[in-house]
Amino acid sequence: MWKLIHFLITAFLQSPKKEMEDKTPKPIKCKAAVCRVAGERLQIEEVVVAPPQRYEVRIKIICTSLCQTDITFWRMKELPGLFPIILGHEAVGVVESVGEAVEEVAVGDTVLPVFLAECGGCAGCGSRRSNECSVLPFTMRMGMPRGDEASRFTDAAGGPVHHFISVSSFVEYTVVDVAHVVKLHKPIPPAKAALLSCGISTGVGGAWKTADVEPGSTVAIFGLGAVGLAAAEGARMQGAGRIIGVDVNPGKFEIGKKFGITDFVNSKEIGDRSLSEVIKEMTGGGADYCFECVGLASLMADAFESSRSGWGKTIILGAEKHGSPISVNSMEILRGRSIMGALLGGMKPKTDIPILMEKYIRKELNLDDFITHEVGFEDINKAFELLEEGKSIRCTIWMDR
Amino acid sequence: MAMPFPEPIRCKAAVCRAAGEPLLIEEVVVAPPRAHEVRVRIICSSLCYSDVAAWRLRVFPTVFPRIFGHEAIGVVESVGEEVEEVEVGDTVMPVFLADCRDCVDCRSERSNMCSRLPFRAQTSGMPRDGTTRFTDAAGDPVHHFLAVSSFSQYTVVDVANVVKVSSEMPPEKICVLSCGFSTGFGAAWKVANVDPGATVAVFGLGTIGLAVVEGARVQGAGRIIGVDLKPDKFEVGKRLGLTDFINPNDIGDRSINEVIKEMTNGGADYCFECIGLASLMLEAYRSSRLGWGKTIILGVEKNMSPITFDSKEILCGRTIIGSAFGGLKSKTHIPILIDKYLNKELHLDEFVTHEVGLDEINKAFELLIEGKCIRCVIWMDK
Repeated sequence: MWKLIHFLITAFLQSPKKEMEDKTPKPIKCKAAVCRVAGERLQIEEVVVAPPQRYEVRIKIICTSLCQTDITFWRMKELPGLFPIILGHEAVGVVESVGEAVEEVAVGDTVLPVFLAECGGCAGCGSRRSNECSVLPFTMRMGMPRGDEASRFTDAAGGPVHHFISVSSFVEYTVVDVAHVVKLHKPIPPAKAALLSCGISTGVGGAWKTADVEPGSTVAIFGLGAVGLAAAEGARMQGAGRIIGVDVNPGKFEIGKKFGITDFVNSKEIGDRSLSEVIKEMTGGGADYCFECVGLASLMADAFESSRSGWGKTIILGAEKHGSPISVNSMEILRGRSIMGALLGGMKPKTDIPILMEKYIRKELNLDDFITHEVGFEDINKAFELLEEGKSIRCTIWMDR
Repeated sequence: MAMPFPEPIRCKAAVCRAAGEPLLIEEVVVAPPRAHEVRVRIICSSLCYSDVAAWRLRVFPTVFPRIFGHEAIGVVESVGEEVEEVEVGDTVMPVFLADCRDCVDCRSERSNMCSRLPFRAQTSGMPRDGTTRFTDAAGDPVHHFLAVSSFSQYTVVDVANVVKVSSEMPPEKICVLSCGFSTGFGAAWKVANVDPGATVAVFGLGTIGLAVVEGARVQGAGRIIGVDLKPDKFEVGKRLGLTDFINPNDIGDRSINEVIKEMTNGGADYCFECIGLASLMLEAYRSSRLGWGKTIILGVEKNMSPITFDSKEILCGRTIIGSAFGGLKSKTHIPILIDKYLNKELHLDEFVTHEVGLDEINKAFELLIEGKCIRCVIWMDK
């Protein structure tokens, strides 16, 4: 009896305090690769990551991969207000803590943070035609998308460090809005899973969702980086009859063949002719679908001119490196051509990424061949060098190595 | 029974001998139709802005002397060898866009760009052999325009450019189907496939723009915003379904796209450019909604300038589509449009605002250039 009373008293006195200690997430000190000056090597620094607020999730990053868009912004001298910033947006991690009103994921879940939101409740999320969430549209915000909209990162001096497109994965812990989080329902090797949070979804989705490539059709892909190779993979999965890869690096043909590329054009080896002349000749008038996967207005124009009159579609997946406008011939567009663009290949992250995960598990989607290098977090700058020199497709950066 | 071999025909035509100069009514000789060709006695023809633009052009690809006109209706006077689709006496519309019904494009639902006789704006002769069927009084060649040349009492057209139509309708009412109306209506119907309840913005309320308005109305659009510098276009537009009007001269410092985005809470679902100005095409693009906004380009750029679009915002789900003749196949779709007109499902009568005889053809040019008409019909035998 006394034992029972003693037990009840200690339980009553201890448990609320214990619950409070367990429940309230604390700020976390951890390592981050901070970019302070455009184009300069990232410094591994200590940062403090604040706890997740309402609708937010704090994630312990397992691994992250470098994407060309990180490099585009890393180099952006024209926007000094961007820095200091934690880049990185293609990653996988484990939920460490959640803020209020988060029911979709729980501590311990493996998740992908994604730069594109899917709130699930707005007109954009409800429409089959769009993947543009109207509640949390894609913009270059430097803090959280909702609530105080501030940064959750502070550096050693106590100053804020900006987020990058609602993800910021070059850090051991990050805070992401739940609308930007996709749960993994089945186990997938983390380095492969991370690829789906940006580059590979952009390419595969481009062929699947944006273009809806028809079986037997002819596809031309301009730029054979991760996005271009993923567009080839997507076109192959859609049953394309012919997939022409265009790049300046002849080495891309060999790796391209693994993703379904049937023909290769090296833009540096076509003499006086234009790319579109070459492709029109190869295809008897132009490709049914042309994908621009680099981010150069001149290449977007080449892609457009290489598309077939009558029904040719040009799909822009690359983010223009200098913000230059696309310029197309006004007579040629009247011949039934169209140009469209998409982020994340037109995919809704929470609805469609799990579909690609399933396809990977069933061996219908090749993810393995995209990863060509791996480094530990301390060597993150090596990943930048490899991508800039065109030596890697995807380099996985492991946080705990 | 042996058919009499067709002879050359002497008739009147409106000949252009210099860019921008009034057309001259002259006697021309129209050769008999060769294989795959049809000689048509034109009943009436209407003036389209593309005729005006080409008439003004001083540099290549223009050639003189030339017979303009490409929107018309007539009767088959004689046929060349291999022509089985139409017979002498049939009422037909010549159409600048060929429909051979046999090539990959003609057989595909996705395309109306015939690849056997591809459309070339600079074509100055017959599509298959490039030669002309017209000679003037001095015996010199007079060039064709867009493979139609309907400002003539008789013309020769390839059978792929001819659509047989019913003779029971007033020709001056349906004449506009052979170019302008079909371009606009088809764009809303086939190219955009405007969905019910959608918001549509139409830039330029000439014949094409007004036909887009009509097409959007028939598709069940919820809101149709017209953009034009002439306030009286709103009245005409309202009869066809326009719900809102923007006059760019009345919006102060703001841009058209700012006004439209505000009116539509983010941008229109479909934006149609119906004039042919690169700057307006960009404005239309910027007025389309992120996520799924479509911009449809119908206008032929007046200076052949390239069209320029932002490369960042296109990633946010926008599409730009161009089309000729509203994405329609002339032989398949013109008869369908005529049926819709007969069933009172679409309005055509509002499009014809003036009529003149061939001798007064230059008046039609004045009226169109001054923006005083929608379609002015030119009767060939008056």
